[in-house]
Amino acid sequence: MSISQPNSAKLFDVIIIGGGATGAGVARDCSRRGLHVLLLERYDIATGATGRNHGLLHSGARYAVTDRESAEECIKENMVLKRIASHCIEETNGLFLTLPEDDIAYQSKFVEACTMAGINAQIIDPKEALVMEPSANKNIIGAVKVPDGSVDPFRLTASNMIDAKNYGAVVYTYHEVVGLIREQDRIVGVKAFDHKTKETKELYASVVVNAGGIWVQHISEFADIKVNMLPAKGALLIFGHRINNMVLNRCRKSADADILVPGDTISLIGTTSSNIPYDQIDNMVVTPEEVDTLIREGEKLAPILNRTRILRAYAGVRPLVASDNDPTGRSVSRGIVLLDHAKRDGLEGYVTITGGKLMTYRLMAEWATDLVCRKLNVTNKCTTAEETLPGSREKTEDINKKIVSLPAAQRKSAIYRHGDMAGNLSGNTEDDNSLVCECEEVSVGEVKYALEELSVTNLVDLRRRTRVGMGTCQGELCACRAAGIMGDTDKLCTKTAKEDLAYFLNERWKGIYPIAWGDTLRESEYTNWVYESVCGLKLLQKQEGQDEV
Amino acid sequence: MKFDTVIIGGGLSGLTCGIRLLQQGHRCAIVSSGQSALHFSSGSFDLLNVLPDGEAVTDPRRSVKDLIRMSPCHPYAKLGENKFGELAGESEAFLTGIGLPVQGDSMENHYRITPMGTLKPTWLSASDFAVSKSERELPWKKVSIFNIAGFLDFYPRFIADEFAKMGTKSDIHLFSLPDLDYLRRNPSELRSTNIARILDKESNKDELVRILGKVALDSEAIVFPACFGLENTNILAALRKAAGKPVYLIPTLPPSIIGIHTQQYMHDYFIHLGGVYMLGDTVKRADVEDNRVMRVYSYNHGNIPFNAGNIVLATGSYFSQGLIATRSRVYEPVFDLDVSYNPGREDWYNRNMFDRQNYQEFGVKTNETFNALCKGKVIENLYVSGALLEGFNPVKEGSGAGVSILSALFIADKILSK
Repeated sequence: MSISQPNSAKLFDVIIIGGGATGAGVARDCSRRGLHVLLLERYDIATGATGRNHGLLHSGARYAVTDRESAEECIKENMVLKRIASHCIEETNGLFLTLPEDDIAYQSKFVEACTMAGINAQIIDPKEALVMEPSANKNIIGAVKVPDGSVDPFRLTASNMIDAKNYGAVVYTYHEVVGLIREQDRIVGVKAFDHKTKETKELYASVVVNAGGIWVQHISEFADIKVNMLPAKGALLIFGHRINNMVLNRCRKSADADILVPGDTISLIGTTSSNIPYDQIDNMVVTPEEVDTLIREGEKLAPILNRTRILRAYAGVRPLVASDNDPTGRSVSRGIVLLDHAKRDGLEGYVTITGGKLMTYRLMAEWATDLVCRKLNVTNKCTTAEETLPGSREKTEDINKKIVSLPAAQRKSAIYRHGDMAGNLSGNTEDDNSLVCECEEVSVGEVKYALEELSVTNLVDLRRRTRVGMGTCQGELCACRAAGIMGDTDKLCTKTAKEDLAYFLNERWKGIYPIAWGDTLRESEYTNWVYESVCGLKLLQKQEGQDEV
Repeated sequence: MKFDTVIIGGGLSGLTCGIRLLQQGHRCAIVSSGQSALHFSSGSFDLLNVLPDGEAVTDPRRSVKDLIRMSPCHPYAKLGENKFGELAGESEAFLTGIGLPVQGDSMENHYRITPMGTLKPTWLSASDFAVSKSERELPWKKVSIFNIAGFLDFYPRFIADEFAKMGTKSDIHLFSLPDLDYLRRNPSELRSTNIARILDKESNKDELVRILGKVALDSEAIVFPACFGLENTNILAALRKAAGKPVYLIPTLPPSIIGIHTQQYMHDYFIHLGGVYMLGDTVKRADVEDNRVMRVYSYNHGNIPFNAGNIVLATGSYFSQGLIATRSRVYEPVFDLDVSYNPGREDWYNRNMFDRQNYQEFGVKTNETFNALCKGKVIENLYVSGALLEGFNPVKEGSGAGVSILSALFIADKILSK
């Protein structure tokens, strides 16, 4: 199924640009409908907006008052995802809290709008709300319960990708599109630069789908097509442990830092919102002011935030699209944007899918795939809303039985991370059970599994798949252990493994320094001593890649 | 409780100062909240490796005047060139004198081997550790590198590949012992301290000797991860004898067995000389009157104060909580001493982890004799020692241990001369 020649003229049915949730969803949908798919991603999967948000499984309540259409899409997809992607989702439910400074009259308007959109919103007594969620501000004057939850966007993307591959899709990560190949009024393929081999390849397909998120504008410029994006930067903070069990929202018009989402072992507060120039979309720096705003506003939702250790700060860019019919470019389309460039620009073989939300990635993929299928005269129906994703197909008890030989804590973590794919760890030996990362219970066996089966090329990739280096210590010792294992398995030569280790630590630091005070600074100082002083590690080439989440 | 001197902080600096004072018949107590930075020591002490302008140092005693010119607030600048040289020489005698054998001297840096297999300049190394005189090559043509199978904090392949670059061949041997297999059953137990407890056992010595039998004849030396000598320092000598060739250690990732041993040894030595060591206690506050510390109070002793003629503050930097950073400031928590730091948080850090980090140079302000400053005034009987001091970058300069030891000896002499 893979292409052996870099300049192979082998024809795919469809090339998808972008390895975020949307691109992965399109790859899954297209390949399940029988198309021969190639997906290209410039870095690792889920590194754009997909990996840089709250991980909130919206009920749609947040949009109910202002954007009924989005709210309806959200609640429908919310129910679909709970069914097909259960191993990526926690059904925590959410609360919309009214603080003394907020207008309580907004609550009834909010509940009414939710009901109209089909979202089950129940007003509950503030006292009862505090019993359900003890971390919430004790001074709340109103509370509404909604079916919000949390979703692991990386896991969701990876799982879509795995399903697509099972149906024959080819996925190239670290392949950056550097050109669109045009023949008369038709796009027939793309030029992609392979960051690992430093080669540029020409790849051909009947249809090219641009699912590049905020980067669709840049990619479309290769075909002289204008798609106006309005980049909005949002900064978030990750807390060192799980403060809340339910998603906490402010019951008011959306503003800064008004969502607190629990996920896995942590909680996340976000976001700020600021418009940035398009040329800054790859330069995400969180400022001290943004950090201070997030803490100041966040502690109104859950006062304990102020005393909780922060692990990281990061920022992403919302892929908002300027409406086509507004010449000023200021009017924003918040919904899903599907562009058939044949109709819009007279250019065949090229489709753009952007806008939307993580919540609606599947629906976006369905729309884009419907359009691709029409172009290719394929009549197969979409099955992605009914068929469960890999990882979500077996019950926890059954998976548990398969890996019963693993220590209990590791078993739990592995199932949490890999769902039914945790069964792959069943052959682990005592050596494999040895822990690489104590914070996140990552074993040698899990690292080896990720290296062999989950297309890991470096420590950052490994972290996304296993959570190595994502716990409280942010890679203090586990990073080195994992680098050692990579060096030993011939996945990387030892020189590359060491360079990769320095790069990984530096990427961790970029998310740490905006919040480095208190215990976080203590830990950073220690990490710096260990790696720079004791180990003599250096960052050899200044790799100014993107900041990692 | 009355003492001549109370030292707050029981790490390298506090213990050095305390032992020196006791050696001269002083009554001395150390209040220590627990582990210190020695617990992740490389096995070597650095004095000065790099000047602030990036120039490498080969002879710290010669280069210190350039450092003093470039960093006028540096602890070494307060000592001055002559005192620096004098104390560096004394430090070597001091450590050997109390029974911590070291190699190296302050007029010529030698090179230690890092856990990554690379060479790094240093001042004094524990005598069991592998070192090189040269920056570019090792003193052996071929070595045998041993590691415990499944031990994740030591990297023979990293080391072997770096050695090969320097023209030294190596072979790698993974070994186990029945005791180690037992340890392996628990996923988080195969770490340096647990391994050392097993390798230190006399009952495992014969098996280790047998394992050494695998060493190729042309290997000139044997290298082990530094997992020996936590409690028993005799095993290596036995292995050397059995192998008939040198057996050296290379540091592992933390915890550092040599560091823990050093801390424990100095602690025991301090007690042996009659010192009072209060472990697990933290000084909470102090009464300061007329620029003198009158009394200090600790958590464990509540309202019963320590009375001492002199107080030495050797509480370390952020890691050891001698300095506390908040969102808006950096402060010293016991006396609220004057701390030099940049006011804006954006000036504390560099975006690249491996570049100079300003926060590491923040510290307590002192006068030329290391007396602490509080609201601009000198506190006559309060001295600041070690990592807590302002004006130096232990990581970039490779000066951490040197500052800790030299400032401690200086302060002890100052107190004794009163």
